[in-house]
Amino acid sequence: MSDWITITIDGKEIQAKPGELLTEAAARAGIHIPVFCSHPKLDPLGACRMCLVEMEGRRGKMLVTACTTPVNDGMVFYYNSERARDARAGTLELILANHPLDCPICDKGGECDLQDHAMRHGPGESHYWEPNRHKEKNYPLSDLIVLDQERCIVCWRCIRYLDEWEDKPQLGLFQRGADTVIDKFPGGDLDAYTSGNIIDICPVGALTNRLARFRFRPWVLEHTNSICTHCGMGCNLRIDTRDFRVRRNVARANEAVNETWICDKGRFANGFVFSQQRLTQPLARIDGELRPVSWPEAIQRVVDGLKRVAAKEGPAAVGGIGSAKLANEANYLLGKFMRALVGTNNVDFREGSSLKADPRGIPSIQAAREADLVVVMGSDPSEEMPVLANLLKRAAKRRGAPVIVIHPRRIELTKYPGVHFHPQPGDEPPLFDALTKATLQARGQAVPDWLAGAEVTDEVKEAATLLVNAQNPFIIYGTDYAWGYGSASIVQALTNWVVASGHGDRLGFLHAQANAVGAADVGLLPDMLPGHRPLSDAAARAELEALWGASIPTQPGLGYSGMIASALGRIKALYIMGADPVGEKPSYADHLKALEFLVVQDLFLTETAKLADVVLPAASYVESNGTFTSTERRVQAAPQAARAVGDSLPDWAILMHIARRYAPDKADFWRTASAPAVFEEITRAVPQYAGMSWEGLGETGQQWAWDALEVSRKLAPYAKLEPAPLEKPFTFRLITGNLLWDDGNTFAATERLAQLGHKAAWLHPDDAAGLDLSEGDLIAVRSREATLELPLHISRRVLPGTVFVPFSLKDAPVGELFDEFGPRTTVAVYRA
Amino acid sequence: MLSPSARSEIQALMARYPRPRSALLPALYVAQREHGWLPPDVQAEIAEIFGLEPMEVHAVVGFYNMLYEKPHGTYHLEVCTNVSCMLRGANDTVDALKEKLHIDFGETTPDGEFTLDHMECLGSCGSAPVVFVRKSHSDWGRYYENVTPDKVDAMLAELRSGEDLPMHRWPEDKPYHHDYFKGNDQWPATNYILSRIDKPDSHTLDSYLADGGYETAKKVLGMDPADVVNEVKTAGLRGRGGAGFPAGVKWGFLPKDVYPRYLVVNADESEPGTFKDRLILEFDPHSLIEGIICTSWAIQSNLAFVYIRGEYMHPYKRLVEAIDEAREKGFLGKGIFGTDFDLEIIVHRGAGAYICGEETALLSSLEGYRGHPRLKPPFPAVEGLYAKPTIVNNVETITQVGHIMRHGADWYRQWGTERSPGIQLLSLSGQVKKPGVYEVPYGITLRELIYDLAGGTVDDRPIKSIVPGGLSMPQLTADQLDTPMDFESLMSAGSMLGSGGVIVICEGEDIIPIARRTIAFYREESCGKCSPCREGGVWIEEILERIEAGQGTLHDLEEIQHIAKYIEQQSFCPFGAASVWGVQSMIRHFRPEFEQYILETNPDQKKPPIPARPIYRQYHGQPLENKLD
Repeated sequence: MSDWITITIDGKEIQAKPGELLTEAAARAGIHIPVFCSHPKLDPLGACRMCLVEMEGRRGKMLVTACTTPVNDGMVFYYNSERARDARAGTLELILANHPLDCPICDKGGECDLQDHAMRHGPGESHYWEPNRHKEKNYPLSDLIVLDQERCIVCWRCIRYLDEWEDKPQLGLFQRGADTVIDKFPGGDLDAYTSGNIIDICPVGALTNRLARFRFRPWVLEHTNSICTHCGMGCNLRIDTRDFRVRRNVARANEAVNETWICDKGRFANGFVFSQQRLTQPLARIDGELRPVSWPEAIQRVVDGLKRVAAKEGPAAVGGIGSAKLANEANYLLGKFMRALVGTNNVDFREGSSLKADPRGIPSIQAAREADLVVVMGSDPSEEMPVLANLLKRAAKRRGAPVIVIHPRRIELTKYPGVHFHPQPGDEPPLFDALTKATLQARGQAVPDWLAGAEVTDEVKEAATLLVNAQNPFIIYGTDYAWGYGSASIVQALTNWVVASGHGDRLGFLHAQANAVGAADVGLLPDMLPGHRPLSDAAARAELEALWGASIPTQPGLGYSGMIASALGRIKALYIMGADPVGEKPSYADHLKALEFLVVQDLFLTETAKLADVVLPAASYVESNGTFTSTERRVQAAPQAARAVGDSLPDWAILMHIARRYAPDKADFWRTASAPAVFEEITRAVPQYAGMSWEGLGETGQQWAWDALEVSRKLAPYAKLEPAPLEKPFTFRLITGNLLWDDGNTFAATERLAQLGHKAAWLHPDDAAGLDLSEGDLIAVRSREATLELPLHISRRVLPGTVFVPFSLKDAPVGELFDEFGPRTTVAVYRA
Repeated sequence: MLSPSARSEIQALMARYPRPRSALLPALYVAQREHGWLPPDVQAEIAEIFGLEPMEVHAVVGFYNMLYEKPHGTYHLEVCTNVSCMLRGANDTVDALKEKLHIDFGETTPDGEFTLDHMECLGSCGSAPVVFVRKSHSDWGRYYENVTPDKVDAMLAELRSGEDLPMHRWPEDKPYHHDYFKGNDQWPATNYILSRIDKPDSHTLDSYLADGGYETAKKVLGMDPADVVNEVKTAGLRGRGGAGFPAGVKWGFLPKDVYPRYLVVNADESEPGTFKDRLILEFDPHSLIEGIICTSWAIQSNLAFVYIRGEYMHPYKRLVEAIDEAREKGFLGKGIFGTDFDLEIIVHRGAGAYICGEETALLSSLEGYRGHPRLKPPFPAVEGLYAKPTIVNNVETITQVGHIMRHGADWYRQWGTERSPGIQLLSLSGQVKKPGVYEVPYGITLRELIYDLAGGTVDDRPIKSIVPGGLSMPQLTADQLDTPMDFESLMSAGSMLGSGGVIVICEGEDIIPIARRTIAFYREESCGKCSPCREGGVWIEEILERIEAGQGTLHDLEEIQHIAKYIEQQSFCPFGAASVWGVQSMIRHFRPEFEQYILETNPDQKKPPIPARPIYRQYHGQPLENKLD
């Protein structure tokens, strides 16, 4: 079907693909047939009757809707004929008859399809003398979206989006005929995680952004093509600013990544940029108090402090913590500074060396669109990466791909047919062993002795067979299995299964953070150099030493938790950039207080920053240039979209200033005066980035190849996982994980979102009943380490015997509960 | 909350259908029987049972008139005020009811006994005026027919009596239907489709078997299915739902070797002026079942559906009883008549939506969605119910299949014309002496029908206008009385045979209210999917209302034609186009009457006042702090 065919529009011959819709073929030839209900990403509907053209048929010319007419060779259409133009004008006249024409105060004014079509195709006059029909205006569908039923032209795009993409049909048509309205279920707000996309695709001003509306006219906005940094998906979006302030985020097309969708976090959670809580000037501890100081003074204090400790205690007493949320440039320069100037390998980030992740992330997002089987292990894409979750839902719903879920919770994807396992924490390795055994048996391969005892159930056999028979399985595992106590065993166990199936090279890790891949790429790891080259690689060291003009210590450094733990010991100074260990685990405060010198560089005065000797105000990614590498290794540019708040500076610039002051003699190696220049240096330090450039990243980024880094995957035995003991009173297993509506700093800074944060501990109804608890009761979750008090949420999504406490809850940091079993500890649950 | 028994009833319903969602309408009926209406929490509960979002259930509830979104009185009285009933005094009945009950439309009497509403065509135009009564918290519903104002008291008294009332039509008389063939030398001395209607207990299996019932089906099951299709093709049987598409040809569109296939019998008889199928369903359901067996064999379908309009509660009951009887005898179910052919019939009730008579909308409804028409192609024969090959045919069409297979194609072709062969049922209503269902060959003239068979018009008034094929068809005038009633002749006369619903309008009736009432029906029943039908119908109605109120201008007639043109040429489904044919034809035929009325009531041709400006903000006039954001 790759051959081109010829159709005729208005006497002009046009090349088209057989079977494509006339609207698409015409658009390629520069004829933009007006549409309302039709959308390239939605199924054809043919309801609005806007795109009428004449078609030469057996019984003469007939009017057809271009958006539902597939083209065949030799078809003849008339777009500009008198009848076709009259028909389109007629449709517009009917649609406009009861339209409120409140364009002067409509947010869509200036970017409204109805205005544009009325201008180009409309009748130019209104015949409508009758009283206007009135419907609901200012009608909130959720905290984020408001509906105006009078402006609505009933094109169903919003309904179809929620149904076809998120598979959460929460909007529908009610009543019928002229009374037809779009509405939600009475009393139930929209809670789809990508609901904001309906604002983008609404062709009129019926759906508007509640956080952004009435604050600008679209034509005064400045557009910056950027990306979202809330998760590792790397969705492309456009940041619209006016008066140097962010007004809204809208989705931007990148067919390989997010197509034209973004999630609600990416769209709405932008309040952190201009939050009142932002740090606007450097602070220094003077007489025990943090007081504003000038930039030169702050930088001098940082240089002096670090030098003092390095001189007194040796470079190994200094450490740098970066962040998977920050740009490559920031993380690269922090690593370079620590290694080349301070002389230590104590560099890491929270999701760095401690995560048993595949550094390459997932093979590609595109693979999800072609998947004939979806395997999700220890990850909840619906909460961690909703736009990717939508692709998986479509694979299941539209292509019938079975979904294998292995997760401690009954995540949303379990609503699709397939096989779903919910092993209790600690029971994962035996399950994967059974899957491995069944898979080997299904493929007629020998089962090693250490797997012989695994118990193969029918369900295990079914899942194993599905994976063996799949042609294009999309296989991911996530943080829930790759982090904390026992993760090495679990990850080896699940790797064994996938390797046994022959699909070993398709196993990917879903990085939850925007730049977890990038931070590792640029070498912010205690034992790895930029480009995923081990510290022991002398050639790599030599290469970098030439680039950096300094020698690199050969002794591997401490990791994230190692550095913090050693703050009570040999670590005496820390440079923490974009991380908040105290917020995550308040008892870390005691560690950091023991330091001689602490620098914190952040957007906010975090719990960690409050302990610092110097606090450096960083500009957010919106206010600075930077590159981010997504979980599919796509390096994308996020150009500056707004003027930096107060005196804040980009992370890379702060590091440059400090480095040049720290070692004036090495200034020749610190001459990169812009983020693109830093990126240029990165492309020389990271072999996978060779050949890339800031400009070359373009609008849609550049991916480094899956096979540019070899990751060995072998079927191998592993250390047995000893689960935390279940003993009175610690009779519940703790489960943690990410929720989209987390309570974190960048999320909660957007006022209206803060109230959406789901602050609760989750229990299964049976457990709640057993403890005589009801929804909303305040409960205590106590581990051997600490106690958290949280309202109870009763849900069948969690298993009996487990309690789910999400990450990032304000004032209830789940990390506080972790003991030697880390996030897989056991806890007591009782009424507080 | 639903009771456990309702829940298990719903679960049983879900198990009946190939896809559980199809059981949504039946489940909502169950819930409504229990609660009297459908409160949101009950809708949410049903959504949970079906694994749907609550909104999906709510959207369906909002589409169908017979599903209540608020509580109603014990008895819900719905008076048909559509054209046929209007011509026979329905408005007087309405006045009488309003006076007796002291309530207006949409209101409930203080004692909670009666809720009054007007209603679009009930499929009982031959016995107009009609009141459809439903009892809340029950499956009881009944047609009260020929309810002239003097009978209102008797009807209300019976309802108030508290007795257990039967569901058959009130009064008990069988509806008038005419035996064209009896005593006519030209034709055999019986009619066919309606031959058994007058027999006592004609709806029972015993009565049907006594007349040789199911022998044809047995015979057909021994034939090659392709031969059955050919026989029907040769007979030239035209679809009786409205479009007149040859049934055998339609069956031939089924893609080869794609199974399962479904047969869907369209019993959603809702076109105003049409009430023929109801007679078959109520008084000879076995003849329909036999037709279904023959057709299912021909197209090799093992599952047939009958989508019956929700208001046909008594016909539904009769049909379900008949199916149960047939199943008990082994005529339906596994291995029917001892062959290895399985056939099951599911009778599916609609819930008050005219558009569900459109075949693709019917399929949407049958799948448990709002009754919106779907894109064609793919046509249902290729991708229909559950995206499987599906044949949708009208009740009369399928019943005729039985007769054709019994007597043969040659027998059938002896009547009618070359291109419209055979016999048809015509529903005659309006201002004629003997309204009712007439079984006649294609090609008899309107004059024969109205004057020779129906005894002429009421009070022998001269005819002003005739709706020849259901209210949507363009009207004909008195000078076209000699038009033969077949597809081709009516087409050349500028109209269509449609579903054969003939409505006679006599001189002395004002055309403007009829035009307004006609468009009001299609406005009310527009599904709302496409812009022209959704926005245009109500616009035309508003203009006609304004004309009636004495604010019309001559220009308004151009305006109506202007709007109607767009509705006709660019609506999504054929029903949209058909919704304006009536009004267009009335303006065409009776323009002087419109103009005279406009000039008399608005001699200065004053234009209506400009509508008020819209209110931009919900909180306008209040301080900005109070606004939503």
